Amino acid sequence: MRTFAKVTNQQIQDRFLRLVVDSLQDVRCLERAIESVHPDIELVSAGRCLELVKQVGTPADLETSFAVSQFKGTHGIGHTRLSTESRVDLSHSQPFWSHGTLDLSLVHNGHITNYHKLRRQYEQNGIRFYTDNDSEIIGIYLSRQMESGLGFEEALLSSLDDLDGSFSYVAATATSFGYARDCFCLKPLIVTENDAFVAIATEEIALNHTFTEKLDSREPTNKHVRVWTVPGKSENSDA
Amino acid sequence: MCIVDCSNKTTRQINREIRRNIETSQPEILLKHSGGRHNLAVAILDPVRIIIEESVGYYCAGLIDGPTVEIRGSAGWGLAEGMMRGTVTVDGNAGNGAAAAIRGGTVVVRGDAAARAGISMKGGRLIIQGNAGYMSGFMAQKGTIIILGDAHGALADSMYETQVFIAGRITDLGNDAVIEKPSKVELQEIDSTLDRFTLPRPKNFQKIISGRKLWNFDKRDYDSWKEAL
Repeated sequence: MRTFAKVTNQQIQDRFLRLVVDSLQDVRCLERAIESVHPDIELVSAGRCLELVKQVGTPADLETSFAVSQFKGTHGIGHTRLSTESRVDLSHSQPFWSHGTLDLSLVHNGHITNYHKLRRQYEQNGIRFYTDNDSEIIGIYLSRQMESGLGFEEALLSSLDDLDGSFSYVAATATSFGYARDCFCLKPLIVTENDAFVAIATEEIALNHTFTEKLDSREPTNKHVRVWTVPGKSENSDA
Repeated sequence: MCIVDCSNKTTRQINREIRRNIETSQPEILLKHSGGRHNLAVAILDPVRIIIEESVGYYCAGLIDGPTVEIRGSAGWGLAEGMMRGTVTVDGNAGNGAAAAIRGGTVVVRGDAAARAGISMKGGRLIIQGNAGYMSGFMAQKGTIIILGDAHGALADSMYETQVFIAGRITDLGNDAVIEKPSKVELQEIDSTLDRFTLPRPKNFQKIISGRKLWNFDKRDYDSWKEAL
């Protein structure tokens, strides 16, 4: 039997099986091996430091199931979905992991209008889609762009030309995070930063719930990308 | 000054409390702990002064006729949308569509204004001390926009009779926007307006008006229509 990785720890959390693996050869091979066990099994995320949890329900339920407030790390992204088109289930929930690329994940608000066209092109190249959610394509896009040699920021920048429609999305890797905004500013996004932290949200009320200090928030301009690198880490370094 | 503590109250309860205070002839109302809520101080039709200590969410001071609303933080989308009369000042930045479709009164943004500031204005005045966002003044019909900083792309696109005065740099003009030199009288008016709000008085204003090529369809202007649409 071929070995894809060595499992050193496993744990059942809600509807997830969390595996800690060693000696990972190729994440895509591991993904295929896991998913070949049963058609209902999906590798929801994989990374050296990414912890991705999601469920259908309220943020309070998520906290009860996964104790998200106890997570430790340098940066995090979250999303509460108001479904407009595709199904409401676990797979369609955000954040989305970019299948096949360790640690790359994202949250998106908006509508990618050339989704079907791009999806057809990717599917012709054998790429599997897990949902009918247009947001999924952003992760697939970023993953492919980075595989073709672009850096994280360059991939976000190229998405401004290649994705149509309305979008404000925030993406993160092990070492960086950033946002991209469509050319018409059709979806809200505000950013605040100081010496201690950077916070990005859809609206002021979210920042007010999170921080007690007075913040100087602003809305980025159209067709705009900004990326922050976690102090002490470069884009290419291991987490 | 009477104080409205917004903690643990819904937006509707806060706005009702503002109205109750107005009914008892309170001239000044201070909102504390507003927590970035949407729709605060909307549809106020009396000349009261409302001070909001923190940042606000969407549509703050929308549909007002007469009050002075002072926001000590930043404002979200649609600030003072549809205002008839009154004054709205924001110490921080404003989100998309500040002063959208106002018919009168003055909106002052001391920071930057995001995209489509002053969209479809039908009167009144919008003053932006910082930079103006993408497509500011889009399809604006009357009134004045004064920008002390720079403007991002497509400034004054497809405008009607609004006049835009800008002291900073213009990234690019919108469709059918034309630059002309402001008159002495206009510059004096701008200075006195800026003085009223204790704003700096930069020199070298440029005036932007509509080139009127998109007001009525003319086959000879087909190219500019194609560009605009």
